[in-house]
Amino acid sequence: MVERQSPLTPIFRPAVHSNDVGSISITLSEVTPLSIVEAACWPGLNERLTAAIQEVTGLSVDTTPNAGVVGRGTAAFSIGPDRYLVSGEEDLSARLARVLSEETGTVTDLSHGRTTFRVSGTRAEWVLSKLFAIDFSPAVFPVGEGRATAHHDIFAQIQRSDAAQFDLYVFRSFARAFWNTLCTAAEEVGYEVIEA
Amino acid sequence: MTARRTSSGGLIERSRTIGFTFDGRSYTGHSGDTLASALVANGVTLVGRSFKYHRPRGIFTASVDEPNALVTILKDGVREPNIPATQIELFEGLEAESQNRFPSLEFDLGALNQLAGRLFSAGFYYKTFMGPVIGPLRGTRFWMICEHFIRRAAGLGRAGYKPDPARYERMNAFCDVLIVGAGPAGLMAAEAAMSSGKRVILAEQEPHLGGSARWSGEMIGGKAAADWSQDLARRIDASENVRILTRTTAWGYYDGNNIAALERVTDHLADAPKGAPRHRNWAIRADTVVLATGAFERPIVFPGNDRPGVMLAGATERYAREFGVLPGEKIALFTNNDSAYRAAAALRQFGATIMAIIDVRAKISPAARALAEEAGVEPLLGFAVTATVGRRLTKVLVRRFDAETERLSGDARPIEADCLAVSGGWSPAIHLASQAGRNPKWDEELCAFLPPEPTQAWAGAGAFTGAVTTAEALSTGRNAGLKAAGKKLSRAKLPEVTAPNLDIHPASVFEIKGNGKAFVDFQHDVTVEDVRLAHREGFVSVEHLKRYTTLGMATDQGKTSNVPGLAIMADARGLPIRDVGTTRFRPPFSPVSIGALAAEKYGHFKPDRLTPMHDWHVEHGARMMNVGLWHRPMIYGQPGETVEQAYTREAATVRRSVGIVDVSTLGKIAVKGPDAAVFLDRVYTNQFSTLPINKARYGLMLRKDGIALDDGTTWRLGEHDFLMTTTTANAGRVMQHLEYVLDVVWPDLKVHLTSVTDQWAGAALAGPNARKVLETCVAGSAVDNEALPFMGLVYGEIDRAPVLVCRLSFSGELAYEVYCGAGHGKHVWEALITAGEPHGIAPYGMEALGALRIEKGHVTGAEIDGRTTARDLYLDWMLSKKKPFIGSALMDRPGLIEKTRLRLVGVISLDGRPLGGGAHIVESGDLNELGESIGHITAFCYSPALAQYIGLALVKGGKELHGKRAYISDPLRKHFGPVQIVSHHFFDPEGKRMHG
Repeated sequence: MVERQSPLTPIFRPAVHSNDVGSISITLSEVTPLSIVEAACWPGLNERLTAAIQEVTGLSVDTTPNAGVVGRGTAAFSIGPDRYLVSGEEDLSARLARVLSEETGTVTDLSHGRTTFRVSGTRAEWVLSKLFAIDFSPAVFPVGEGRATAHHDIFAQIQRSDAAQFDLYVFRSFARAFWNTLCTAAEEVGYEVIEA
Repeated sequence: MTARRTSSGGLIERSRTIGFTFDGRSYTGHSGDTLASALVANGVTLVGRSFKYHRPRGIFTASVDEPNALVTILKDGVREPNIPATQIELFEGLEAESQNRFPSLEFDLGALNQLAGRLFSAGFYYKTFMGPVIGPLRGTRFWMICEHFIRRAAGLGRAGYKPDPARYERMNAFCDVLIVGAGPAGLMAAEAAMSSGKRVILAEQEPHLGGSARWSGEMIGGKAAADWSQDLARRIDASENVRILTRTTAWGYYDGNNIAALERVTDHLADAPKGAPRHRNWAIRADTVVLATGAFERPIVFPGNDRPGVMLAGATERYAREFGVLPGEKIALFTNNDSAYRAAAALRQFGATIMAIIDVRAKISPAARALAEEAGVEPLLGFAVTATVGRRLTKVLVRRFDAETERLSGDARPIEADCLAVSGGWSPAIHLASQAGRNPKWDEELCAFLPPEPTQAWAGAGAFTGAVTTAEALSTGRNAGLKAAGKKLSRAKLPEVTAPNLDIHPASVFEIKGNGKAFVDFQHDVTVEDVRLAHREGFVSVEHLKRYTTLGMATDQGKTSNVPGLAIMADARGLPIRDVGTTRFRPPFSPVSIGALAAEKYGHFKPDRLTPMHDWHVEHGARMMNVGLWHRPMIYGQPGETVEQAYTREAATVRRSVGIVDVSTLGKIAVKGPDAAVFLDRVYTNQFSTLPINKARYGLMLRKDGIALDDGTTWRLGEHDFLMTTTTANAGRVMQHLEYVLDVVWPDLKVHLTSVTDQWAGAALAGPNARKVLETCVAGSAVDNEALPFMGLVYGEIDRAPVLVCRLSFSGELAYEVYCGAGHGKHVWEALITAGEPHGIAPYGMEALGALRIEKGHVTGAEIDGRTTARDLYLDWMLSKKKPFIGSALMDRPGLIEKTRLRLVGVISLDGRPLGGGAHIVESGDLNELGESIGHITAFCYSPALAQYIGLALVKGGKELHGKRAYISDPLRKHFGPVQIVSHHFFDPEGKRMHG
């Protein structure tokens, strides 16, 4: 199959953008996985849905709001009641659809429709706090958990994928605008754009 | 006045000299100075002209409450007016200008306004609206003449015209405890809260923590208060769970304990560091707030009280102790409480001569008497200042005064003074509390309003609560911090405070009555007489008083004037002040830059939304246009082509051979689940449960009131799997509508909705040769009429990319929509272009798309405009009679089916001129007797197929007018001309071409 093109193609430039004192506090990258899938279930069947996600990805996701978990090359997190965003290798959508019966829920492939940016580094919380009105502190937003939120009319689903690392899923059509916003917000602390 | 820098003392860095200019003249100051302290140090005491009367004004305070010394800052080519000099930190190269004067601060022509003082009394603006009757000039006419001059004269500083190059940001923060104010109370609260491990934010509007401890001259914990505060500030700063925000003013207290705070990040720097914003607007969500905002000193109102050289007593003390500046050499003090005595002693200690302490009270505390002795002066008890003398203050006149009866007696006695320090008592800074609480409470002892009962989770500390001594600040601060952190109160010993035991409860004297202008509100030139005039004219409520006189308005929001103004109104009404009440404080506490509110939205208000083929369009010369957030090609113009020529060529290519248009922007919603078909039957007017798999159907949705909502095709991909398309403009609205009915009306339906607009790239291939193009590039499926009939869909590949091809037409031609994963969009688009080259394929933009659909009479958002019904658009054939659907219950209301409704027609221009969108249609050809409008044009174009200017319109009667002549009346575009009303199906009404 033909390779998927990134919405950032003409503007993505790996480079160092240090701040006035020459420091770099965060790195920015595009890490869109091969598969991004929305898996949803009918009310009351959340445990069956998380079991299906575990069967396919090996990830054990909790059924509580905002729950999420990050694995090797795969991740899942709650994006609303009875809904999870699951990412991973190719064919994830088909594999999930095979184990998730219609009686339990539905699977929708969003692999082309979402773009994933990774913000990591000591000032990641600071930079993202400029853009989103949510609490990024680890006590409130621990590793693995997800949030569905918005910035500047741009809908975003965010997962804390490590202690100082966040993965942001945005609609592909907004990706370039959001990337520019992200870079602008990061200028103050210094940032490096890296290849995934 | 001989203001000067003292030879030693203060918290400034005397070793660092900083150059700046004021009104073009060069001066120097030191690191740690404000513009105000540096000007005073340089003997500059005239800094501005007043709003109405252009009276000379000097620096009056040392903080955010400054009403007079508003200046314009020139930085990076931008003028920013109305900044209090007391709030500007000195930096190398600072350029400041005085304002509201012409031609110069010393000689201002506007000062002539003082001669017409009575004309500008309270309510003059409103009286001018009504106007006197002078010959033909009456009422509005008089106002219209005056308006020009009033508008020119109104306002304070003058803003520039250049765009602001500075950058602004918004910042979101969450904490357990927010402490506003970092004086002794705030610092103690922070220390108490942080020790409990809570997340604490400490916001302080000044550059340094410490507040009054920096200039009180008191001892705390055996150290100078300034040192104690710095030590504590360092300890707090070292704590990981405290974020300290200096130069940050909490300006608004909103519901849910949301506090807005403005951080001035780079105003104090000559050059902003890369990426640093000038201002950062914090939105702080706090579980609990501690308000430790201190208190403002009030003036006493007396004739001549605005003369340069008159200053608040606390400010004079602060200038001396913090900045090492004396505001005068011969200083007199005028007070109704003890606090001015401490200032007198400090000023004497720094080298000034205290000429007199004039006190309206007959008795003072022993501590005050001791301080008077330190100041080297015997206080004049039972005296009041009745006048001031000099262009800049040279002397004051005092008379005997009885504080009980407020009567003056005896002869006026002159006292030489180049500075008069005034203290009329202290008012707690309850602004934020007033925004998040009930009505403030009047305290008879303090003669001030105390904080109200909270309506949100906040506690007060320090002078804010009326507890004005430093010892009380420490105890209330610690208690508030512990309480906010959910901890028990501590019995541990507090740091000992060594301070004079002053009685700061003032005598209840707010005004000394006498001859001459006595100002209540310096910034808006509101005099005592204005307040009394408002009373005489019936504006006695505090709300009316504020609006009629402008008392308490403008940038300082009456921080020095509110209480004296209310006291004078209470006196006029013969009521106690508590019965007169006060206005509620509103945000912002102090001015907030518009840039900070706009934050990152500077320069653009909405994000750009791009299709996967965006770069191809730009590279191939498309002129882009905004359609909602989307950027879409308008035309692909060739050199020398007009827009009309370009879209005519593009549309003609479609009719003649084949064209391609990017339709990725269409809204796309995945509708999945066992009840998906049932759901669609309910939301669409027509039936979808009967739609076979791999077929598409055109659908229409109504709102529940029977008005058309949106149209589009929905494709059945599986038994329980549909792909709905919506118009570009209505995608969000339709999604909201569907989610609402699913969540609220039919929660029992097993249906999931997901926006997949961005999942798919879409290209519409239209024209007689469209099939030939697909035949050469689609693999994995046939695309002939049998395999892919009208409204059929097939799966295949184009140049190794999976595609979904649906045969449907918006242009009226043989046409297909090719969908692929958005990441393959550009790749598939280029493959289609390559495949179409032998047929002369042309990309076409929105203009050609519009022309093609107008020729066909297909409706879009211009016709589905939130007012039209299915019948209005002749889409009643889509209204199923076999099932109910959203809107079916109300679509036949009498008002929606009456004959006079505006209904869809086509119009042809008969004068060969283009029609105009929104132009009215009238039946009369007589320009002088046009009659009523019978409708309007919704869309228009030059039709290459018909070689005429045509349009769609909504007119009364619709079809019944076919064949009739009417006229368009378009005065905005200066077009009046004949049109023919015809069927909206201009071209190929039988649809032979798209079924071919």
